[in-house]
Amino acid sequence: MVKKMNQNRESFFESRRNFLKNSAYTVAGTTLTLGVFKTIVDTPANASSEFTSTPKTLFSYPNPKEWDSYVELDGNDWKRGGIGRRGIKSEKNPEGITATEYMLVPTACSNCEASCGLTAWVDLSSYKKGGQLKVRKYMGNPLHAGSRGRNCAKGYAAQSQMYDPDRIPFPLRRAPGSKRGDGKWVRTTWDEAMSEIGSKIASLLKSDDEVSKKMFMYQVGRPNENGFGARVPQSLGVDGWNSHTNICSAGAREGTIQWTNDDRNSPDWANADLIFLQSSHAADAGHYFQQAAGRIADARKRGAKLVVMDPRMSNSAGMADLWVPCWPGTEVALYLYLANRILNEKGLNGDSLVNHNFVKKWVNWDRLMSNKEYLSLLVEKGYIKSVPKGDSYEDFITMISEMYSPYTLDFVVKECRIEAKTVEKLYDMFIDAGARVATYIWRAGPIGHRGGWMNARAAFLPFVLRGAMAGDKGGMGLHHWHVISVNGKGDKATVSGVAPDKVDVWNELAWPPEYPLSAYEMSFLLPHLLLDDEWRAKWNAKGLKVPEKLGVYVPRIYNPVWINPDGFRWIEALKREDKVELSFNLSPTWSETNWFCDYVLPVGLAGERHDQQSEATQPSRWLSFRNPALRVALEKMGWKPKNPARATLEAHIEAGLGEIWEEVEFWANIMVDYVDPDGSLGVREHWASKEDPSRAVTIAEWYQEAFDNLPNLKAAAKIKYPDSKYPNYEMMRDMGTWLEEDNIYKPQERPLEKEGDAYIVEGKRYEASQVTKDKFGTLLVADAHGEKEAIGIEIDGEIMDGFHTLSKKLEFFSEWFAQWKWPEYAVPIYPKSKAERKEMIHLVTQVHHDYMNGENEFALNTIFRLPYNIHTRSVNSKHLMEISQNHNPVWIHTSDAARLGIKRGDSIKVTITDTLCGLESGYFIAMAVPTEGTMPGVLACSHHAGRWKLKNAIEIPGFEHKLGVLGLGAPLFEMHMDGEIGTMKPLEGIKEGMLKRPDTWQFKEYNKDLDNIWWDGLSGSWQNAVAAAHPDPIAGNHAWHQKVIIEKAKQGEVIGDIYVNYANNMKIYQAWRDQLTRPLEAGDTLRRPVHMKRPGPKISKKGYSVEIIG
Amino acid sequence: MNSFKEETNARQALYSFIARLMLVEVDEKFLESFESEANLLSMFPNYKEWSKKKEFSRADLIAQYLNVDFTNLFLMHLIPYESFYTRDDQMIESGGNNPIIELYNSYDFRVELDKARVISPDHIGVELEFMYMLCSALQKAQEADDAEGIDDILRVQKDFLEQHLLRWAPMFLINVKRESITPLYHDGAEFALDFLLSDFEYINSKLKKSC
Repeated sequence: MVKKMNQNRESFFESRRNFLKNSAYTVAGTTLTLGVFKTIVDTPANASSEFTSTPKTLFSYPNPKEWDSYVELDGNDWKRGGIGRRGIKSEKNPEGITATEYMLVPTACSNCEASCGLTAWVDLSSYKKGGQLKVRKYMGNPLHAGSRGRNCAKGYAAQSQMYDPDRIPFPLRRAPGSKRGDGKWVRTTWDEAMSEIGSKIASLLKSDDEVSKKMFMYQVGRPNENGFGARVPQSLGVDGWNSHTNICSAGAREGTIQWTNDDRNSPDWANADLIFLQSSHAADAGHYFQQAAGRIADARKRGAKLVVMDPRMSNSAGMADLWVPCWPGTEVALYLYLANRILNEKGLNGDSLVNHNFVKKWVNWDRLMSNKEYLSLLVEKGYIKSVPKGDSYEDFITMISEMYSPYTLDFVVKECRIEAKTVEKLYDMFIDAGARVATYIWRAGPIGHRGGWMNARAAFLPFVLRGAMAGDKGGMGLHHWHVISVNGKGDKATVSGVAPDKVDVWNELAWPPEYPLSAYEMSFLLPHLLLDDEWRAKWNAKGLKVPEKLGVYVPRIYNPVWINPDGFRWIEALKREDKVELSFNLSPTWSETNWFCDYVLPVGLAGERHDQQSEATQPSRWLSFRNPALRVALEKMGWKPKNPARATLEAHIEAGLGEIWEEVEFWANIMVDYVDPDGSLGVREHWASKEDPSRAVTIAEWYQEAFDNLPNLKAAAKIKYPDSKYPNYEMMRDMGTWLEEDNIYKPQERPLEKEGDAYIVEGKRYEASQVTKDKFGTLLVADAHGEKEAIGIEIDGEIMDGFHTLSKKLEFFSEWFAQWKWPEYAVPIYPKSKAERKEMIHLVTQVHHDYMNGENEFALNTIFRLPYNIHTRSVNSKHLMEISQNHNPVWIHTSDAARLGIKRGDSIKVTITDTLCGLESGYFIAMAVPTEGTMPGVLACSHHAGRWKLKNAIEIPGFEHKLGVLGLGAPLFEMHMDGEIGTMKPLEGIKEGMLKRPDTWQFKEYNKDLDNIWWDGLSGSWQNAVAAAHPDPIAGNHAWHQKVIIEKAKQGEVIGDIYVNYANNMKIYQAWRDQLTRPLEAGDTLRRPVHMKRPGPKISKKGYSVEIIG
Repeated sequence: MNSFKEETNARQALYSFIARLMLVEVDEKFLESFESEANLLSMFPNYKEWSKKKEFSRADLIAQYLNVDFTNLFLMHLIPYESFYTRDDQMIESGGNNPIIELYNSYDFRVELDKARVISPDHIGVELEFMYMLCSALQKAQEADDAEGIDDILRVQKDFLEQHLLRWAPMFLINVKRESITPLYHDGAEFALDFLLSDFEYINSKLKKSC
């Protein structure tokens, strides 16, 4: 169009040189004026000496010294003209500007995982006049090294979430006589709840048998804390920890573990010359959105380029220098193409493009080249033609140059369905950036697909070859270099003074024997495993002791029913009282899961709790400390709790927030007073206060000891608070954040710490006589299991820390992975033909274009976040819900839409079908939007929308008000399920529901606009429920993407409808399990490689050991 | 004098029109008004012949094409702020150091940023609307036969174009023309550029006459 328009230039110019002479256009123009100028009317000058309109310096935040009492002019009033005209409001000057005294309490956001700093602005003026203590706004925390005082929309939402009109005000219990899901609730107290829950936990512990130690399960959503949660089951001596991770990031972790034995990479965005994103995640809405986006913006300002590889044109892709739309799940081909060219081509000056200094020194090529048996396997598999004669580094480079040479431009163009010029441009940009290339491999490819872990494995290869994985400036470091985990390390504040013992059992409900290499727990299969009697019987016959039920199930700020695939299966399991005997959700909001629990225990949001959290967002180690703002403010004003171990709960009641508590105090109290009041179970000592053993540990006591593990923090606190009993705690309470170490580059090259003849590694001392060195230079000691553990490496005569792997180098060849039944995939590899794709099915996405045959068959891309809507956490924020309405249609390419006669706004039926076993899961109805922002053949619909509720409000006997349920965020649905088929149909939108009760009884002054709800919330479908669980046979992640068949919806089918054959979904899960996994078998002695991170409680050698009867 | 008044009216209307075009998304009322003005429409030859107008309703045209283009041009990819073009560091100056604010202040004008939905008062749409305001002031002076006032206002207009709009708007408008994907903004940019340049000549000619 532009070209065509520019061709018309001449005639266009000629036609209008003198427009004033043909000035018929007069009337309409004037009426079109927007009128953005306002002429100032004279107002009386009445300035106060305290404020000035002409400050000498400008600042974004008040000086921290003033945080306890900071007076600020009201923003709304200020807009009317400033104090120069109106002065400060007083009795004599009622028209003046209001000045409010605030206390700024630092805390941290909890809406996504980034943990950006916040300050809660607590209104002291109103409180001092006799009003309730309230937080008026949340702003950033300028002291926070990661977020630098900035926040995204979700951060500021902490305020609307805090005063959500449908906030759960007190603990609720399922009404006696009702069934789970009936929606009948009664009010209870924290002590009544703790009493029943505590005695149930105690009864499990008293059984003291192996199975009982697997019947408690604490399952977290996004934990947003570092280490406290896992301490809960560990102190109980049970293997009862579960997370959400395998629906989130397990694929990326698996691939990264194979290279680095670390959880994830940690890019230095700010200093990179090329930002190479796979998916929109880092810069759009995911890990670690606001902080990453800020650093990326800094880099781009410096001249860095941005490439976004994503089948969907995300916000990031839209503003990138290059958008690389790649068929979902085939990205590995592209990464190996880059590797091929790096290995087989030369730079402009004729030099090799491989950073040999780095690769030779820090990649475990030596182990591969000495393993002739494995090299023979590579020949057998056809990866290379013959076993190299020599075993030198040069032989290695020659060998892999051959191995990756088939990944040509032609291949990648066909496999990834991508234009050749785009691929070549990407290569040029990649090479131009040298070793300063940063990426973050996390969602999208690695979690969307079967074999997604190879996506991460292959992605790092070109980065390794170019030296970008050296942990140096502008490249990539690793997660554990950049985080601080002390939230669970307050042991010294307790009677026992030490961490609880390791746990001796292994819970198959979280770690089933089919998935020994799963990155995290097989969390999304929990209901399937609970309800699969055949599976349990099979493994019990092989000598395992798989529990048939859970005694206590505790989701924590988690909504597994809604967010996991196959949601009806979750409901089925949670409703079964013979499978889940007691359940309670520690949850700040209503959720789909709460509806099927026995207790809903309301815990605090971002500014209402204590957590230590740290994230690897840059090459430094910072932490956030979450504070309950109202409690801190009350305490600073002299208020004292009756029970110091319950101060947060008491403060929230005092301030009128409700009976809102927090996990740290809750777990300490329930353990001490209800689970083990007499100490006979060995639990109490881990939670009772050392200072006063009659009660639970307090927050100040706990965090004083937890932060004592950080030497720089500890030293600074001692200086800053010389007279305090708890200087570490007080400093963190007042700052909310700490930077323990900055500019962390190449820590693998640090000399191994030595004291005399002994090596010091992670606080442990190894005498020289205990240490041996293998032929590759790795220093080895015996670990707690008697296995050999690497503590350092000698290269060129220098003894260094090395990487976190068994070889202390980056592992191109994952020897342990080969030993754990997957030798053919122990190096980065990808099938090159249809025949190979059949043979190497574990690496082939379930939505590969091989599987798309009909004209209405598509790959559905579900994994992308909406920047303002995080999983299930934002449904209680009025403004986030408002701005996210109608933002989740099904994106369909214009050519596909035209072919199928689909127009913008059409309702379409999206039927999900499995490509492994051919079974259908069911369908959801959604709105289509034709766009060129997605690839032909690939649909996009985020799985982050489609919330629901079954009642608008509930009545609590004896309580004068109804409690609203998700009034601002979820429409009302009708649900049917019969054990095989589940359906949902929307009944009523949010607007209708809210208009029935616009004058909420709770937090009225914050919710005067409830009569102005305009959105109906009926723009999304609960697609997660339709999706069958697709457990990746190796990483264990749920492979999110789906093959779908679309058609126009029929009369009577409306957006929001879903139909699920969840009996089929069970069979699909079983097909993936039975056809693809390589389970433990007779002869195996370990449940899982000991060196691999095993989240949750620490497990003893006994727990790791297994004997399978064959 | 009558011709001068008519010219002022026309200038005022044209500034109003292009300010509106560049400040916020168009709506159906705007398009209706614009398309009903044959003379004005003739200056948008590509838009006049745009086939999509026949295929889509105005609402769809706006939602699927024009708003997309507007977002791309004015919110995402191009920077419609004077300070971006005139400062060495290319930062948008939204505070008191922005000379444009000083200028507005000196005439007792305040920009309502929330209404304008801009982050700084040196947005092209705001600067164009300032010219519209000055044309309104000129109209008043003409109504009052205030020759001295007319001369003063023309000088202010000349200075504002010379020291602000013409220093950067041509670069921005050329970029808009190149980046646009719809004829409305393509023609609009070319039209605005042409108009600004000829208006500067016009003002100079008027001032010469008054000397």
